[in-house]
Amino acid sequence: MMNWMLLGPELHCLLMGGVFLGLSMVRPNPARDYLTAMVFATVVVGFGLAGMKLQGDLFAAAYRVDLYSQVFKILIGLGLFLVVSISSGMKGIDERYHPEYYLLLATCTLAMMMMASAVHLVALFIALELSSYSLYILVSMRKGRGIGIEGGIKYFFVGASASAVMLMGMALIYGATRAFHIAELMEILPSVLNQPEVIIGLMFTLGGFFFKLAVFPFHFWAPDVYETAADQVAAYIATASKVAAVAILMRMAAVSGGGSKYLIDVLAILAIVSMTVGNLAAIVQKDLKRLLAYSSIAHAGYILIGILSMSQSGYAGTIFYVLGVVVMKFTCFLVVVKGASGGRNIEVSHLAGLHRRSPILALALMLALFGLAGIPPTIGFTGKLLIFTAAVEQGHLPLVIIAMINVVISLYYYLLILKAAYVEEPAETLPPLEVSPALKVLAIALITVMLVAGIYPQPLIELARAAALALI
Amino acid sequence: MPVEYAKFPYLTTILLSCIAGLLIIVFMPRERKTEIKVVSAVFSGITLVLSIYLYFAYDKQAGGLQFVEKVLWVKSLGIHYFNAVDGFSLPMLLLTGIVFFTGVLTMWELENRVKEFFALLFLLVSGVFGLFMSLDLFFIFIWYDVSLFPMYLLIAIWGSTRKEYGAMKLTLYLLAGSALILPAIVYLVVQSGMNTFDLTALMAPGTFTPGQQRFAFLLFYIGFGILAGVWPFHTWSPVGHVAAPTSVSMIHAGVLMKIGAFGVLRLGIFLCPEGWHYWAHLMAVLATVGIVYGALAGLVQTDIKYVIGYSSVSHMGIVGLGLATVTLDGLNGAVFQMFAHGIMTALFFSSVGYIYDRTHTKAIDELGGLSQIMPKASSFLIVAALTGIGVPCLASFWGELVVFIAAFKTYPLCGTLAVCALVISALFILRVVQRTCYGPKNEQFAHLPDISFGLSIPRIILVSVIVLFGFYPALLFDMIQTASVPLFGRLP
Repeated sequence: MMNWMLLGPELHCLLMGGVFLGLSMVRPNPARDYLTAMVFATVVVGFGLAGMKLQGDLFAAAYRVDLYSQVFKILIGLGLFLVVSISSGMKGIDERYHPEYYLLLATCTLAMMMMASAVHLVALFIALELSSYSLYILVSMRKGRGIGIEGGIKYFFVGASASAVMLMGMALIYGATRAFHIAELMEILPSVLNQPEVIIGLMFTLGGFFFKLAVFPFHFWAPDVYETAADQVAAYIATASKVAAVAILMRMAAVSGGGSKYLIDVLAILAIVSMTVGNLAAIVQKDLKRLLAYSSIAHAGYILIGILSMSQSGYAGTIFYVLGVVVMKFTCFLVVVKGASGGRNIEVSHLAGLHRRSPILALALMLALFGLAGIPPTIGFTGKLLIFTAAVEQGHLPLVIIAMINVVISLYYYLLILKAAYVEEPAETLPPLEVSPALKVLAIALITVMLVAGIYPQPLIELARAAALALI
Repeated sequence: MPVEYAKFPYLTTILLSCIAGLLIIVFMPRERKTEIKVVSAVFSGITLVLSIYLYFAYDKQAGGLQFVEKVLWVKSLGIHYFNAVDGFSLPMLLLTGIVFFTGVLTMWELENRVKEFFALLFLLVSGVFGLFMSLDLFFIFIWYDVSLFPMYLLIAIWGSTRKEYGAMKLTLYLLAGSALILPAIVYLVVQSGMNTFDLTALMAPGTFTPGQQRFAFLLFYIGFGILAGVWPFHTWSPVGHVAAPTSVSMIHAGVLMKIGAFGVLRLGIFLCPEGWHYWAHLMAVLATVGIVYGALAGLVQTDIKYVIGYSSVSHMGIVGLGLATVTLDGLNGAVFQMFAHGIMTALFFSSVGYIYDRTHTKAIDELGGLSQIMPKASSFLIVAALTGIGVPCLASFWGELVVFIAAFKTYPLCGTLAVCALVISALFILRVVQRTCYGPKNEQFAHLPDISFGLSIPRIILVSVIVLFGFYPALLFDMIQTASVPLFGRLP
C-alpha cells in the first residue's frame, strides 16, 4: 500500500493543472482564476510543510522522498505561492490566457518537485524536460508584438542544446558504470572518477543543470528571457526554477562523493567566470529585469562555490543560500511588478521616488538589495558566510577572496538601484503606488524573514544541515 | 582569564536603546519632526549616560573583561552573542556616546526627511556600539557592516558637494575592506579547528602558526586600514567627509575611522601578534607617509571640510604610527589619540557645519572675519583647530606626545618626519583659522546671527571633554593601561 501523503505536494500540483485545464475551456474570469490558483498554491505549500519529515522510496526506487527533497519541495512550493500572489491583475499576459498561465505554472512546479526527488537518471531527465517545456511556453505568452516569442525561441534553443549535451553525458556515465540509479552511481563513480569519459560524462550531465541555473557558459538565455517574459514568469524563473536547478545539481555533485580534482577545478573556474561575467555585465544594464538576470548569473557562481566544497557544510550552506535567493529575488520582483506600469518593462530609473510612493516596498527593496550583495544582518550574508566557511574548510581560500571582490563589484549596481529608489526624485510627481493590504503583509513578512534569518539563523541552519545529511 | 558575568546587561541595554530609538522613529509619523528629534536626543542621551556610567564603574584594579554577556547563538558554527568591555573598548564606547549625542543635537535644524535621517543614524550607531563591545568575530563583522551601509544613504540624500560620487566611493572602499576582513575571519576560524567565533578562545597562544598570523594580519590591516584612512587607501576619506552632512561627518571622522584602528587592534593584534611584529615596519612607513601626505595635501585645499578631511588622514596616521612601534607607550598613545582625535574632529566638523548652514559656503576664500560676525561659533572652530595642532592642555597633545616619544625610540627617521609634518599641519590649520575667522569681513555674511545657546550645547560638551582630558590625561591613560599591559604580558 502506497502512502499517498508522500506525494502530497506533487498530486496537488497535478490537480491544480487539471482544474486549470478545465477552466481554460470556459469563459475567462481573471479574478476567479487568481483566487483558485491562490488556494491551490497555499495547499501545495501546506502539504509540503506537513510532509517535511516523511521518508520513502517510490516507483522502483526511482523516486526518493527524504528531508532533502522535502525541503526543496517546500521552497519550490513557496516560489509558486509567491509568484501566484503577485499575479492578480497581471498585465504582461493577455487575460484570455490566464488559465493556461496557471496551468503551466502547475505543471512546471510539479516537474520541479519531481526534479528534487528523482534519483534515477531517466526520471531526472523527464522531470527536467517537463519543467523546461512549461517554461518555454510561459515565456512566449508575453503580450505584444512577438517579444515573448523571441525570448521563448532563444530559451528553447539554448535549452534544447543543453538537454542534448546532458543526454550525451548521461549516456557516457551509463557506458562507464552500467548504472542509472543515483544510489548505485554513488558507489561506483568515486572509484572510476579518474577515467576521462566519466569526468566528461559528469560534466556534460551537469551542463544540463547549469543551463537551468544560468551558469556560464549556458547563461546567454537569461537576460533576454527575463527581459521578454512577463514579470511574473521572470520571477518564477528567478526563484522556483533556480531552486530546482540547485536541488538536482547538488544531487548529481554528491554522486561523485568527495569529487575529483578535475571536477572541482572545472566547477571553480565556472564559478569564477559566472560571478565575474554576471556582475560586470549587470553594471551597465538599464532594464531592471535584465539587471536581475545578470545578478542571477553571478549568484549561480556563488552557489557553485558551495556545491564544489562537496561537504555537508557546503551543501547545507547552499540550501540556506537558495532559500535566501528565493526571498531576496522575489522581493525585487515584487517591486518590479508593482512599479511597472501597464505591463511594460521597468527601468532602474523608473524607481525614482519609490521611497515616497511606497515606503514599505522601498524598505523591502533595500533589504533585498543588501541581502543580494551579502551585507549583514540579512539572510544573504548568512548564506554567503556558510558557503565561504565551507569553501575555506576545503582549502578554497583564493576562490573566497575572488568571490568577495565580486561582492564589492556587485554592490556598485545594487547601490545604483538603491539610489534610484531613495535618492532620486521623478521628473514629475507620481501618485503613491497602490499596494493592497495583502501585499503589504507579504512585504512585511519578506522583510521579517530576511532580517530574522540574518540575525538569528540557528533554526534554519540546523534544518539545512539535516537536509544536507540526507543527501550524503 | 576568569570571566564574571554582568549582573545587569548594560551593554545590551546600550544596543537596545539604539534599536528602540530606531523602531520608535520608524513608527512615528514623518510630519512630527520636533518629536522625532526629541526622541533621538533622549535615546542617544541614554546611550551616553550608560557609557559614562560603565566608564567609571569599570574596576581598573581587576582589569580584564567586565560586564560580560554571553549567549550561545548558532551552535553548529560556534557563534556566541558575546559582549564585554575592557580598557580599549571603554574609551571607544564613551567616544561614541559623546559624538552620537552631540551629533544629534547638532542636527536640530534639519528639516528634510527628518524621520529617515535619524532612523539611519540610529542604525549606524548601533553598529558602532556593537562593534566596540562585541567579542565574537561573527558579530564583529555584522556590526562592522551595519555601521557602514547606512552611510551611503546618509551621504547621498542629505550631503553636499558631489554627494553621490562621494557616497558611492566611500561605500565601495569601505566594503572592499570588509571583503578582505571576512575571508580573514573565516580563514582563522577554520584554521583554528576549534569551531568557534569566540575571540577570547581564538586568542589563546599557539592557536595559529606564525605564517597564518602574518597572512591574516595583513588582510585585517588592509581591510580595517581602509576605514582608518591608512595611506594609500585613504582617498575615500576627504571626499566622503566633504560630501556628508554635519553630524554624519562628525560620526564618521570621529567614530567610524576609529573602528578601523580598533579593528586592527582587536582582530589583528589580539589574534595575530606575530603578524603585528612582522608587518610593523610596513605599518610605520605607511603611517608616516600618511602623516606627511595628509599635512601637505591639507596645505593647498580651498574647502574647509577638505582641510579637516586631510588633517584626519594625517592624525589617523599618528594612530597607525603608535601601533607600528609595537611598544606599550606607542599602543597607549595610539588609543589615546583615537579618543582625542574623535572628539577633536567632531568639534571641528560641528563648528564648520554651523558656519556652512548659515553661509552656504565652505570655500576658505569666501569666508573671512567670522570672529566679528559670529564670535561664539568661530571660537569653537578655533578651539578645534588648536586641538588639532596639538596645543598642550588640550586632549590631542598627550596622544601625539606619547606616540612621538615611542616612535623616536623605535623608528627615529619616521618619528622625525612625523614631527616635521606636525609643523606643517599647524601651518595649514592656522591658515584656515586666519583666513576664515580673521581678516576682512565678507559683507555678504555680515547680517548672519551668531550661534544660539541651544545649538552651542553640543559644541560646549565637546570643548569640555577636550579640556578635561587635556588637563587630566591620567583619566584615560589609566584605563588604557588596564588592557595594554596584559596584552604585552601575553606577547612572546
